[in-house]
Amino acid sequence: MSEPRTALPPRFERPGPLAFLAWVLGLGLVVVSFRGVGFSAPTFVEGLPQMGRFAAGLFPPSLERIGPVLDALAETFQMAVAGTAIGVLVSIPLAVLSARHLSPHPIVRFAARGLVSFFRTVPDLIWAVFCVVTVGLGPFAGTLALIVDTAGICRRFVAEAMEEAERGPQEAPAALGARPAAVIACAVLPSAMPAMVATSLFSLEKATRSSVVLGLVGAGGIGNELEVALTFFNYQEAATIILAIFVLVLAVEQAAGALRQRIIA
Amino acid sequence: MAEAITAAARARATCSEHRAEASPEIAAQGLSKRFGERTVLSGVSFTVRRGEVVALIGANGAGKSTLLRCLVPLVEPDESDAMVLGAPTRALGPRALRRLRARVGVVFQKHNLVPRLSVLTNVLHGALGRSGLAAAHAATAPGALREEALRCLERVGLAGLARQRADTLSGGQSQRVAIARALMQRPAALLADEPVASLDPAAGEEVMALFSALAREDGLTLLFTTHSMAHAAGYADRVIGLRAGRIALEERARPGLPPALERFFV
Repeated sequence: MSEPRTALPPRFERPGPLAFLAWVLGLGLVVVSFRGVGFSAPTFVEGLPQMGRFAAGLFPPSLERIGPVLDALAETFQMAVAGTAIGVLVSIPLAVLSARHLSPHPIVRFAARGLVSFFRTVPDLIWAVFCVVTVGLGPFAGTLALIVDTAGICRRFVAEAMEEAERGPQEAPAALGARPAAVIACAVLPSAMPAMVATSLFSLEKATRSSVVLGLVGAGGIGNELEVALTFFNYQEAATIILAIFVLVLAVEQAAGALRQRIIA
Repeated sequence: MAEAITAAARARATCSEHRAEASPEIAAQGLSKRFGERTVLSGVSFTVRRGEVVALIGANGAGKSTLLRCLVPLVEPDESDAMVLGAPTRALGPRALRRLRARVGVVFQKHNLVPRLSVLTNVLHGALGRSGLAAAHAATAPGALREEALRCLERVGLAGLARQRADTLSGGQSQRVAIARALMQRPAALLADEPVASLDPAAGEEVMALFSALAREDGLTLLFTTHSMAHAAGYADRVIGLRAGRIALEERARPGLPPALERFFV
């Protein structure tokens, strides 16, 4: 006697009432958002000729002020490098304080996480405004803003890397009488190093892009040049600046990607 | 293997009379540990005399590793009057506990080296307890410490690999480096948690013979856990059998012992 055949499961499960409600609410939110922002395909299509005229005004890019533009580009990169370097250093103690198995007390962990969440919640442009008010216009203000931003990003990833690091090599120095600081220096940091370096390179890429925007509020770098060019309708010079930014960001991304591959391998 | 074990047995016999008079280096009285509802150790009492080599045997889950960890203590026992190197472990503050740990070498089953660091740096870490962060890295350590670490590597036959990264070593080499790190502590006692369990038989035999020879040379107290009856009978002075968290056997090691130990692994 053959056994009864098992029915094939349906392609789609009928959603439960709560799942159905979640779907309806989700779709409703999308529709409301589209209406809220005045999304209109015809308006976009009608505006395309104007976009074309603007784009045409960018060409040919002007090389008249290429010297100052390249100087500003170098300053942008220097801001990114300095901001990332100090930001990563600042993130390490914060990561230790907020890593579950390294933090001296749950309250300390909560405080460290809360502080860094605050760093990350406030946009870097706002930090740049604060820093300009504090130290004046220029790249130093931008670098300070990048430190805050980088420390916020790296703290999270470095803490996660520390929490995920193998526990055995951490147990060994503890078992032979090392102080907690020595355990962190000798076992935790080396184990978390690949993730730390990868995060630092990612932060450098992000800082390079951010440092362009920071210039718009006077925090140094090539953003200042871009703002001035756009304000005075000097679109051909703006095109040169945009191309220079593109080349810098691309170069940093490629170099960071290659380094990351090498370190992770 | 047979020659190594015979040599170990011969060397043990010459010292056994002296050890009988020696004071206990490790002593546990009523040591108990529970993890949640599970009782892992229940009222374990035993002593290990200075310079004695003791094998701790038992099936998986019998409590061998937990017992070793409770002695240092990497795991806090629920009840215990453990004395290690004359210090009551439960009464020690953090600083005194670090001082005690610095004198007890622990060798782990999985070696627990820091994979991305060099062999020399890993051995230097053995001095972290007495020298602090000066022993953190081969690049920054004082010359005397570097020299001592190299001597420890020479004793385990791996001085030629000092600059190599730890994650490029074979299992046997890795465990030898872990032993060198323990020697770098200048320990008075060694605890080894299944030191050859992750090695193939040949490498395991080599490591066990090395371990036993080093312990003898330095007059170290050695307490090791093992699943190998041959190692327990061949390298130890005494065998302690654990079953379900209790001591169920305590005998002097002798050649005819292995068959009697079978029951501890079922």
